[in-house]
Amino acid sequence: MADAKPLELSRYCVPFTPFQAKLEGASICLVTTAAVRMKSDPPFATEGDTSFRTIPGSASAADLAYDDTHYDHACADRDMNCLFPVDRLRELTGEGRIGGLTQRHFSMGYSSALRELRETTIPALAREVDRERPGVVVLTGG
Amino acid sequence: MQRAIEMIGIPTVVITVEPEETRQARPPRALCPGGFVAGHSLGRPGDAALQKRILVDALELVTGPPRPGEVVVRDYG
Repeated sequence: MADAKPLELSRYCVPFTPFQAKLEGASICLVTTAAVRMKSDPPFATEGDTSFRTIPGSASAADLAYDDTHYDHACADRDMNCLFPVDRLRELTGEGRIGGLTQRHFSMGYSSALRELRETTIPALAREVDRERPGVVVLTGG
Repeated sequence: MQRAIEMIGIPTVVITVEPEETRQARPPRALCPGGFVAGHSLGRPGDAALQKRILVDALELVTGPPRPGEVVVRDYG
């Protein structure tokens, strides 16, 4: 038994956490892999970056920038809500359809350093998301 | 990323424009706006109504019947 490794989640398994509340009372956290950040923050390195960034819940789409060479920019150049619909979530809150936004949202960029992403970036980011106590996380890829 | 967040007990939904790639990742919940490409996940710039529709549809996958592993493809014109 000395060599027994911990069990790993099979790639065929679908993790699933039931949502047992009401959307009207839920706070939503946005997480993107589209390399979105505050304009005031240093850019992601487009050739590969394993960092993640925090975006304040009070940010508007107009406060945001992106650093990318992997997707078409025609939409994002005019309206960052195409990648990161923070203004729309704020409107849904005003309409009472969701409870609100978390205090922080999160963003990652492009990286081919899969092991570092898997072992370092993703667990750290998941823990930060958890600290926000979101009811639901909405992810966008770009 | 999505699987990691779901694993620690937070319901998630992804809006994806790469349905085949997403399917292979076994997502807990996934919406694919059909025909949209990378960089245009939520549709068209300034089209708030469309962006909101896509977002609402994604959130309704969270309150609706579970379809783990499935990528729901919808046509938004």
